[in-house]
Amino acid sequence: MYGFGGTVLRINLETGEIRRSPTPESFAREWLGARGFVAKTIYDEVPRNADPLGPENLFIVAPGVLTGSFAPCGSKLGFGCVSPLTNGHADSNMGGHLGPEIKYAGYDMIVLERISPKPVYLFIDDDAVELRPAEQYWGMGSLDLEARMKKDLGEDFQIATIGPAGENGVGFACITHDFGRQAGRCGVGAVMGSKRLKAIAVRGTKSLAVHDLPGLTKHTYDIIQRTKPHPNMEPWQKYGTALFVSWANEHGCFPSRNFQTTYHEGWEGISGEKLAEEVLVTHKACFGCWMNCGKYSRARIPGKPDTYLEGPEYETIALCGGSCGMTDIHHVAYANYLCDNLGLDTMSGGNVTGFAMECYERGIITKDDLEGHELRWGNIDDFEHFVGMIAARRGIGELFSHGTRAAAQKLGRGTIEFAEQAKGMEFSGYDTRWYSAQLLSYCTADIGAHHNRSWAITADIELGQDTPVGKAPVVIYLQHIRPLFDTWCCCRLFWGELDVTPEEHVDAVRHLTGWDITIEECMLTSERIWNLTRAHYLERNGGPGRKHDVAPLRQLEERIPTGPAEGRKVGTENFEYMLNDYYANRGWDAEGNPTREVLETLGLPRIADRLEKLGLLGKPIPGGIPKVRGQKLKPKAM
Amino acid sequence: MVVYLRSGGRLRERLQPDVDQYTRRVEVEGAPTLREILDTLRIPRALVAFGYSQGTVRRLDYRPADGETITLQPPVAGG
Ligand code: SF4
Repeated sequence: MYGFGGTVLRINLETGEIRRSPTPESFAREWLGARGFVAKTIYDEVPRNADPLGPENLFIVAPGVLTGSFAPCGSKLGFGCVSPLTNGHADSNMGGHLGPEIKYAGYDMIVLERISPKPVYLFIDDDAVELRPAEQYWGMGSLDLEARMKKDLGEDFQIATIGPAGENGVGFACITHDFGRQAGRCGVGAVMGSKRLKAIAVRGTKSLAVHDLPGLTKHTYDIIQRTKPHPNMEPWQKYGTALFVSWANEHGCFPSRNFQTTYHEGWEGISGEKLAEEVLVTHKACFGCWMNCGKYSRARIPGKPDTYLEGPEYETIALCGGSCGMTDIHHVAYANYLCDNLGLDTMSGGNVTGFAMECYERGIITKDDLEGHELRWGNIDDFEHFVGMIAARRGIGELFSHGTRAAAQKLGRGTIEFAEQAKGMEFSGYDTRWYSAQLLSYCTADIGAHHNRSWAITADIELGQDTPVGKAPVVIYLQHIRPLFDTWCCCRLFWGELDVTPEEHVDAVRHLTGWDITIEECMLTSERIWNLTRAHYLERNGGPGRKHDVAPLRQLEERIPTGPAEGRKVGTENFEYMLNDYYANRGWDAEGNPTREVLETLGLPRIADRLEKLGLLGKPIPGGIPKVRGQKLKPKAM
Repeated sequence: MVVYLRSGGRLRERLQPDVDQYTRRVEVEGAPTLREILDTLRIPRALVAFGYSQGTVRRLDYRPADGETITLQPPVAGG
């Protein structure tokens, strides 16, 4: 088979048994890689009542079809499992160099089963696959461990690690690679830790068979030549994503102090320009990328050691910075470093800490809960102490270690109203009160409130920020196209920023694999995965679907108190309108359950049977399902 | 005076380039700000995150010089 490593690896961590099987080409074509492989495998194999941190959950590592090919930016690697944060399908991906290395070692998917009796790391050197003892590494920070393992094994190994947060089962623990690339969301690091798997080290030296080498070479060469002079290239190379801090403040979507407001006083201190002036050391790129948007930085704070980190990116600045009330880029960079080394997702980590800061401000938690410390807006010492408590699940840190939803459920006192999450997943760095399509995106996403599923902010601007009309079809389109990049496993920034079209990525897949695949087939695959993960969520959490697509009250009914978006809110009625429109355009019933007709169209009849048995199948829609789901408004606005 | 605006991505459609595939030549009176130029061209301000020229970020209150080329950058997600 062209374009793939050729082998699925299964490792039983309890017994040490290692099995290899050929990657079926039909499976590869139907699910394309990473997110698709994960969705199908965990749906088929993980019992519905399995504890996400127990032995029956699987931990899957999977590159995608374009990973490691020299199609543009084929750098990504997916991780998947059932999420401890949302109790649904989880996939999270990272760039860097590990994905290609796994493919060059010959593997398309690594499925880790059960729980190791002792800490281990997975060692792969082409055909040599071993579980090696990792007691000596247990307890180490993610970044520290990667440096140590590079020394122990050699620089030519690509390494992914977890930190103490992953070892301790923190619901939003991440996996780190390349000193700052993270599979951050859904708590994949906690599941890796629950398996007592501290790290993965891979060296792969084999070639990837390409169906049409001259064709793929020319295709990539042409894209390189075309994108080098692209107007967006230079600002991206110089500043990366951090430059959008100013825009987000000027346009009322920057989260400030746990999303209390959307204009952050002092944002200039944590802007992209400040990052470039004060902390930036150099630029970094993932495998096969000539945009190098990654920023490698140094945080300098008097009284603390200088620390080096990758970032901070926009999301980290928004959530560890704005949402925690910080106004100094060195403090945000240091917070980024702390989360990275502890193995906490900076997005959920920042969001949860901002939420706890608001609880402290309101007197819901006190110094007594915080081991005598405070938890003040913008205070980096307080931040450091608190995330340490979370990572260790110490004292009140235990309560917050399962995310804002779980913490709010325990704290009570109306805290759920300002827990900015959907399905248990903390919001990305965009307040939605003036951006209702983005709220719909967050609340309907299979993994909860993550912008990689659908970033609809510019769609909101194009369609009108004060109306809910016309938002749903765009969100559905985005929910199919954006996660497609996490299935192919190439960076979506080349699409968003450099005008490399999805069709061109499909051309790369065709040259690579020899398949007669089209963008329409890929979009259908993405929709198939979306419906599969919806079914999985319903089977694990009960129905109807509508009861899970819920927005925080702050976003619905609390007007933004200050700044350019002052007075805005989405409004419950508008949200319900969008949900109805969304279900109708997906071909789901009014309760948000997928219908037999839509599942059969996607080649999922068995899932329709299963949902029917469980009473979760959507009622037939009068007039049938929409013909082209989610592509009605294939938008200028993406 | 003349200002050259460049843009890729979603903004290109709004900009309607006429010099090359990314660039539009715009004649302006006086010394307007970037924001005023966008208004003249009916490009929604919210769709422009910032301008960029000579290696420097230009906010929308920046007044381009005669003959200057400014890249317009749309807002994006990331990180
Ligand atoms: S644009 Fe950035 S995230 Fe994407 S592949 Fe390049 S360096 Fe990695």
